[in-house]
Amino acid sequence: MYKASRFSPLASVIRHTVITLPTPVNISTWWNFGSLLGVCLATQIFSGLVLSLHFTAHTDLSFYVVIQSFGDVYYNWWFRALHANGASFFFIGLYLHIARGMYYGSYVFKEVWSVGVVILLLVMASAFLGYVLPWGQMSFWGATVITSLFSALPIIGSDVVIWLWGGFSVDNATLTRFFGLHFLLPFTVAGLAGLHLFFLHDQGSSNPLGVSSDFNKVVFHHYYVLKDLVGACFFVGPLLGLVYFYPWLLGDPENFIEGNPLVTPHHIQPEWYFLFAYAILRAVPNKLGGVVALAAAVLILFYMPFSPKTSIKGLSFYPWGKVLFFSLIGVFILLTWAGSKPVEEPYVVVSQVLSFLYFFYFLLIGPLTRIQDKLL
Amino acid sequence: MRPSFLLRKEFGNLAVIRGTVKYHLSPLEQRAFAGAISQGVPNIFWRFRQSFFYVVPPMLLSYLVYYTAEMEHDRLQRKQPGQFDHEK
Repeated sequence: MYKASRFSPLASVIRHTVITLPTPVNISTWWNFGSLLGVCLATQIFSGLVLSLHFTAHTDLSFYVVIQSFGDVYYNWWFRALHANGASFFFIGLYLHIARGMYYGSYVFKEVWSVGVVILLLVMASAFLGYVLPWGQMSFWGATVITSLFSALPIIGSDVVIWLWGGFSVDNATLTRFFGLHFLLPFTVAGLAGLHLFFLHDQGSSNPLGVSSDFNKVVFHHYYVLKDLVGACFFVGPLLGLVYFYPWLLGDPENFIEGNPLVTPHHIQPEWYFLFAYAILRAVPNKLGGVVALAAAVLILFYMPFSPKTSIKGLSFYPWGKVLFFSLIGVFILLTWAGSKPVEEPYVVVSQVLSFLYFFYFLLIGPLTRIQDKLL
Repeated sequence: MRPSFLLRKEFGNLAVIRGTVKYHLSPLEQRAFAGAISQGVPNIFWRFRQSFFYVVPPMLLSYLVYYTAEMEHDRLQRKQPGQFDHEK
């Protein structure tokens, strides 16, 4: 590799990215999630490619093709379970990666952070599109609910929805375009992940202490290649455990019923990774307000690089900041729980209070850390 | 060939330190997992104690909110005293 890299630009890029890359000596397990997300993306692309070889995007066929391929195509059951559970693990990795970024102040790398938020949005879009493809009840009605949200846009809303649907309801045109977009978006994500790494390697990784580590770095290979491999084993192990033993633990039984426009399920709800946003959407009594709150729940991450700067990067040395951060984690988990509940009391009031607290974190964290900076 | 955009933070272009002498052993001259268990395991408990009062109270509070909401929902699902008095 060394000799080749003197002549080959590709080998040179690989060498500078994963072999001789200067890396801080003290980065912890929270820094493993970047590479784990790369593993998830590769897994999803590969398993999705295999599934697409036997998939037909048509409202009359999709549901039955998916079920039939389990029995007829060798190991298709494995690839489907891997793809479905891989999506859940993708979001586990995403949320933990973002939490690391928020806790350790990684958002000061503005370009890296902004590209990362775009990746999050695209992965969320991709997951939503992919869930529609099996054409079960939750696929159909989830697509109907979420695409109908665009009708809240003033003046152009209803036209936008008809344009999105390709007709006057979620139907065949919607399914075929969702399949095309679901196939395309992951490659866009892969490109953006490359850009994400490009911007990151301009400054180098941060570290848990929040100070510069330029004077104390080691080469990426073998130290972090091995550490990332160990992390991958700990991550892929539970994933395979789900695939082999509990493939439908995180799924919705309603999706084993073919999508029927004439029968609405009692409890329409998205997969667990969207429940926090679903709770925020339902908390606002106004339709447009709910849509704005839903978008804001994710887009507020773009604000982080512009939040007030602290003397020390991250929250490691800010006790009240740490308490507030872990309160946000609690609020996030509670919002996920609340999103799975029916629209009844006391869940309505609880969702509203939790939604307020979720946004309140972003307002409070800056002043709280600045107070400590001034006191010291 | 070395693309110019790679002339960034690489070894030799990281930090300038003056007045400091640094000693270290080559990784090939030392045991890779020295102290991994004798110091590593007590360190787990130390790190747990250090973060306990930052993590546990918010999680406990969250559990309380969840428990109270579920109890209240179960209570509201049952008949309330006097709910059907107007039908007497």
